[in-house]
Amino acid sequence: MVTGFYPSIWFNSLENNYISQDILQFTLFQAIFSTIVTLMIGIPIAWMLGRYRWPLESLIRTVLTLPFVIPSIIAAMGILTIIGPHGINIRADEDTWWWTLIIAHAWFNMALVIRFCEPILTTLDPSLEEQLRLLPNGQTRISRFRYLWAPLLVPSITAAACMTFVFSFTSFALVRWITVGNESLESMMATISSSAGIEGYMEFTSEMVLGASIIQFLILLISLWITSIIQRNRKSKIPQVNTKFVKTKNSMGWLIIVPALIFALLPIISVFLGSFRIREPVENEIIFRWSFDAWVVAWRGSNSFPPLTDALINSIGYAIITLCVSLPIGFSLASTISKLEENHKFLSQVLDVFTMLPFALSAAMVGLGVLLGIIKLDIGFLHNFWPLPALAHIMLTVPFVVRIFLPAIRSLDPMYDENAKVLGLKPWKRFFSVKLPLLKSSLIISTIFTLAMSLGEFGASFVVARNSDWVTLPLLIDSWRSKPMKDPFTGPASNVVATVLMLITIILFLFAERYRTNKEGGMF
Amino acid sequence: MYKEIKKSVKKRIKESIVIGLFLMMSLSGCISEDESKELVIATYDIYGLSEEMIEEFENQTGISVSMIKLDDAGSVLDYLIKNKGTNDIDLAIGLDNTYLSTAIQQGVLTNHTASNLGEISQVALGPYNGQLAVPFDMGYVCLNYDNNLVDGKNMSVPTSLWDLTEEEWRGKVVIPSPQTSSPGRAFMLATMDYFTSETDRSDTSQFESWWSAMKNNDVIITSGWTEAYEMYYSGGYGETTEGYIGSAHITVSYCHSPGVEAWYSGSNITKSSSLDIPMASFFQVEYISSVMGGDVESSALFIEYLLSEEVNSKMPEQNQMYSVLEGNDLPETSGYLFHSIIPEQPSNLSMSEIGDNIESWLQLWNSAMI
Repeated sequence: MVTGFYPSIWFNSLENNYISQDILQFTLFQAIFSTIVTLMIGIPIAWMLGRYRWPLESLIRTVLTLPFVIPSIIAAMGILTIIGPHGINIRADEDTWWWTLIIAHAWFNMALVIRFCEPILTTLDPSLEEQLRLLPNGQTRISRFRYLWAPLLVPSITAAACMTFVFSFTSFALVRWITVGNESLESMMATISSSAGIEGYMEFTSEMVLGASIIQFLILLISLWITSIIQRNRKSKIPQVNTKFVKTKNSMGWLIIVPALIFALLPIISVFLGSFRIREPVENEIIFRWSFDAWVVAWRGSNSFPPLTDALINSIGYAIITLCVSLPIGFSLASTISKLEENHKFLSQVLDVFTMLPFALSAAMVGLGVLLGIIKLDIGFLHNFWPLPALAHIMLTVPFVVRIFLPAIRSLDPMYDENAKVLGLKPWKRFFSVKLPLLKSSLIISTIFTLAMSLGEFGASFVVARNSDWVTLPLLIDSWRSKPMKDPFTGPASNVVATVLMLITIILFLFAERYRTNKEGGMF
Repeated sequence: MYKEIKKSVKKRIKESIVIGLFLMMSLSGCISEDESKELVIATYDIYGLSEEMIEEFENQTGISVSMIKLDDAGSVLDYLIKNKGTNDIDLAIGLDNTYLSTAIQQGVLTNHTASNLGEISQVALGPYNGQLAVPFDMGYVCLNYDNNLVDGKNMSVPTSLWDLTEEEWRGKVVIPSPQTSSPGRAFMLATMDYFTSETDRSDTSQFESWWSAMKNNDVIITSGWTEAYEMYYSGGYGETTEGYIGSAHITVSYCHSPGVEAWYSGSNITKSSSLDIPMASFFQVEYISSVMGGDVESSALFIEYLLSEEVNSKMPEQNQMYSVLEGNDLPETSGYLFHSIIPEQPSNLSMSEIGDNIESWLQLWNSAMI
């Protein structure tokens, strides 16, 4: 081994290097603050959406969920435009960066809170609350919240909080672009990992990567483990009714819904508008003009970049491969977990946590890269293996597929399958004509989620050495962005690619919402 | 019950295998088709290597080019070391004279056989003149300042690096980190030369105290050139970009960056100037090298192509660096040449000195900064 097995040296190396000094505190604190603020913003929105009736509800929900699937590098651009000199102009004041980052994380993660709370809020029988009103403990709003809503919602809120924590902890582009000069453990590792794992050369980077990846892995593992426990424990049976009976009108609610929509949409709109705004230097001044030029440039590709269509085709190709692999794997895992729950509780719990590992694994993957450097595995043939990036996408999407399928499979009545068995249907026929139709809505939602996540994936491809034939939309955005902005088309063209990516995501999402029935809310 | 689970697991494994096989079949189709000669290049985002240019090479030679794009010159070196002995990489493009000697020490490069090269200038061959690497572009790294503010009235123009440790410059200097950025590394090397004696580098106390003093003067260290120049530096085009902060009025870039600013603006105007402090700038040369174990013949063709008059003379426009060929200079269009300076007295570190000491110097820098 390059560094020997000296964890204490690894951990110390983090404090002894300029680049990683205080990085653990920063990463941890921003993640905790982000989680709290996300809950503060997300819960009222979830409440309003869940308990009351709104026109164009599925559109509202799509819009509010959109930030979650938008690649963070695009989000960073949109947010920077808003706080920049042409927006509210607070960028120059360094003290605002911390809160900008926290709010950006809240923007990104609020969909988790809204979605996690949605199933309970939209289906809980209102008579429960009415009964409680008659009891001494249910006289006031506060006490009703304390005795009814808190116990019911706390499990889903905690689960959402855990996921928000994980995503904020591993935040990459937002940290790098908003709080410049600060790094999260994740972005620091990506910066220095290339020289880690080489014997006798820059060994301090190996120590830092090993130290950071172990710490990050442990912290994330603990939070995911808590999530899994809470999700299992919330399987309580509560009286559910159709949403129609739950939802009432609330005209004051617009005071929350409208700002929420603006909050969700602002960065997205600013990216969209940015794709038409071209800078034009005139003498010593800078003026902007509006045109479709950047669209033409991005579509054709400039002399340094492949055309947009190449990236689009790759992105779609990887998304389809990811879908073909993730769905069966995710589904098998979910049904195995739910089967095992009957008799092998412990085994099912282990498997449950195990399926969420890829979320925590990004760090370990970098650590693995270090190990590969040590073992000197011949991975040369992979240089030209076009589907390689899809592997990373599969790892990231399988956990989502499992999360979506698991509640649906748990609530599936085994009677249908048994009836079919009695009728003499072959196993594969039972699977395709009985089970699959029953799980249709979960299937479609996981399909859309897998496609959207794969299309927007950025972090993993960033770590893997990039072959120029593998360019995807998010990587193309990054390439455009890393070109010096002297070229007036650099910014607008990256916004064009981002807009194309967002449009595809929006289309997929609206499509998914159409097939969603409120009864099977699922985890998302 | 256990049997049932086993059965269901088995069934799912079967299902997965079928899907896996199906996928493999469709994929192997794509791989076996490709039997033409292939040139694998490890590089980073070098804008001189444009799509058009690569395509033309492919058409001329019938060799298909596959590029592995890494983050920067340092990552290219790391990648070469990690893949030593795999014989998978044919060419490395982008190692500079701060990395080349390490690459040579690590034995990842091999002699090139390119013969038909244009006339490379003696300046470009200064740091290294051997068969293991051929220069393809070059430039000087030095301090750039915002001449709107640093005009001798609002702020005085520094004449020594020590001036930057004065109160006037508190929090107004941005430098990319030598640990993670190539220009940052080049500038740190320049300061090493600036603060130590040419004949004996062992007394590094001035080097350490200057960097400590800079830290105490709230110097801003960024992970890359981009953050330093676009976000913090007030003298460049950064003010037109998202995320612009503009709190620093001096930064590390190239001595010809102001020329690039003027050229891009198309109007011969820039508020950025290069600062020519003796020994505080660094001559950087970027190289193309045949990689040990790779296809030397095809590599040679690409080296010849990149060093041909037709391709290399376009470096200033395509790559914002000087061409290495004799008789080529920056274009005069829109003040490109006019606003670019060549330092009178750049730092004078030999490549072998850098190779032998770079790690310990980086450690020195690190301990001065924490």
